[in-house]
Amino acid sequence: MSFLEVFQYTRKDSIIHNLDPRAKLVLAFSFASVSLSYTAIIPQLIIFCFIFPLIVASKSVRRWITSMKGLGALLLFILVFNTLLSTSTTPFSYSLALTFRLVNLMTSFSLFFLTVHPDQLSQALIQMRVRFEFAFAVSMAMRYVPTLANEAYAIMDAQRARGVELDKGNIITRIRNIVPIIVPLIIVSIRRALSVAESMESRAFGASQNRTYMERLSFRKRDWAVVIVSLFVFIVVLYFNLIIGLPEWMFYGLPF
Amino acid sequence: MIMLENVQFAYEGIYSALRGVSLQINTGERIAIMGTNGAGKTTLIKHINGLLRPQNGRVFLDERNTAHMSVAEIAREVGLVFQNPDHQLFLDTVEKEILFGLKKLGFSEEEAKERSSSTLEKLGLTDLIERSPFSLSGGERKRVALASVLASHPRILALDEPTIGQDALQKRYLAELLMEMNEAGKTVIVVTHDIEFVIEYFPRTIAMADGQIIADGLTGMVLSNSKVQELCSLTSPQMTQAAKALASYFPTVSDRMTQLDELEATITQILEGGRI
Repeated sequence: MSFLEVFQYTRKDSIIHNLDPRAKLVLAFSFASVSLSYTAIIPQLIIFCFIFPLIVASKSVRRWITSMKGLGALLLFILVFNTLLSTSTTPFSYSLALTFRLVNLMTSFSLFFLTVHPDQLSQALIQMRVRFEFAFAVSMAMRYVPTLANEAYAIMDAQRARGVELDKGNIITRIRNIVPIIVPLIIVSIRRALSVAESMESRAFGASQNRTYMERLSFRKRDWAVVIVSLFVFIVVLYFNLIIGLPEWMFYGLPF
Repeated sequence: MIMLENVQFAYEGIYSALRGVSLQINTGERIAIMGTNGAGKTTLIKHINGLLRPQNGRVFLDERNTAHMSVAEIAREVGLVFQNPDHQLFLDTVEKEILFGLKKLGFSEEEAKERSSSTLEKLGLTDLIERSPFSLSGGERKRVALASVLASHPRILALDEPTIGQDALQKRYLAELLMEMNEAGKTVIVVTHDIEFVIEYFPRTIAMADGQIIADGLTGMVLSNSKVQELCSLTSPQMTQAAKALASYFPTVSDRMTQLDELEATITQILEGGRI
């Protein structure tokens, strides 16, 4: 579960943290869509060279590394399975590009989730004219990610104490071992959701239609700068992709 | 026998949950671990079955260092019942739930069935055997979780807050069951805040505060100690309160009584006009 860490908000004082969440959303989406548009190694590496400094700027490199370590198994899985199953002429090169692409996607969204407090997120959504109830649900969902992760650890402990060996056996046994973890996790979450709903209602959630907010987000110059640069990069990439075409060397891959 | 040697443990390096705990629990003992929330009680029992490994120090199970044993291996000998039953229930009937753990621990189908039905009977769950654990009440779920561990007859039984959500009658059944298992030679360890439960059924108490053992000894002695009461946020047991009230009128009466029969004898003596 440690790969989720990169999506967990951490309170820090950094340039990225201080940006408006809406600007960061545009930034994350433009990075993500740029990396989604390529399945070659070199463009993915170039994109990475742009995102990683932003992770550094958000003072979260260590957390990023923990997450990538946690993701290691999945990355390896993608690499191996795609290499074996791909119809491409250079399956390994293609799979490697896919793996890099996942890293880039994770990293671009982590820039957002790592630096946006759940309250800020819901405020951003509300100011983007999303209904309060929906915005609240989104920020609650984010708020419960770490709780859920802790719950998952507690459940693993409880099952291990009953003799379930989570880290032993072949792949089928391991997949079967997920059942005793996932079922209690779902049940516990549903129970929690019901009790949260009840406690919210007992505190008069939704009693008045027009609610007010103590803090409002405001777009500053640097936020505009981030949005403009992100959109500019996105449009340039789109232009290259659709009209000019990338130079040949960009598609260079490994020969196997 | 369980032996902990200067065990230290810190969660994610943020704070120390155990700061050098040394402890010996002999086979066949009944022990209660008490202390405030966050004193390290649960962390301590998780070390006994290997879910947590000491960052410093060692844990021995009958002379064997548990560092060389897997949790599944230890689980055959140490049964740990968790506070929240919802963390372990996942099958669609109570019976399957009990059988699951037994199969994981390597019991044959026949033996598992037999153990399951006798344990369910003892815990008053026989009527619920075909029910889904999720449709049961909190107290019932707790007993199902307990049954799933008890059924494997571990030599050492550790229970985290077993009395929460149980009515007086169920609590007594639980106590009787624990006594019965204890008489059959099993070691019983409970972590609890239920002071009356401890006084009635557990001869030895370990009091913990801030990751350390602050008192370890006879329950009556430990729990009537005012320093322990203060550090563990305990209110004094009803018996001790009664004894203190009595002692304020009759200076010769001990104010440290914790057992009903002691108090009874003293009161009878006073009523009969005897000297104390």
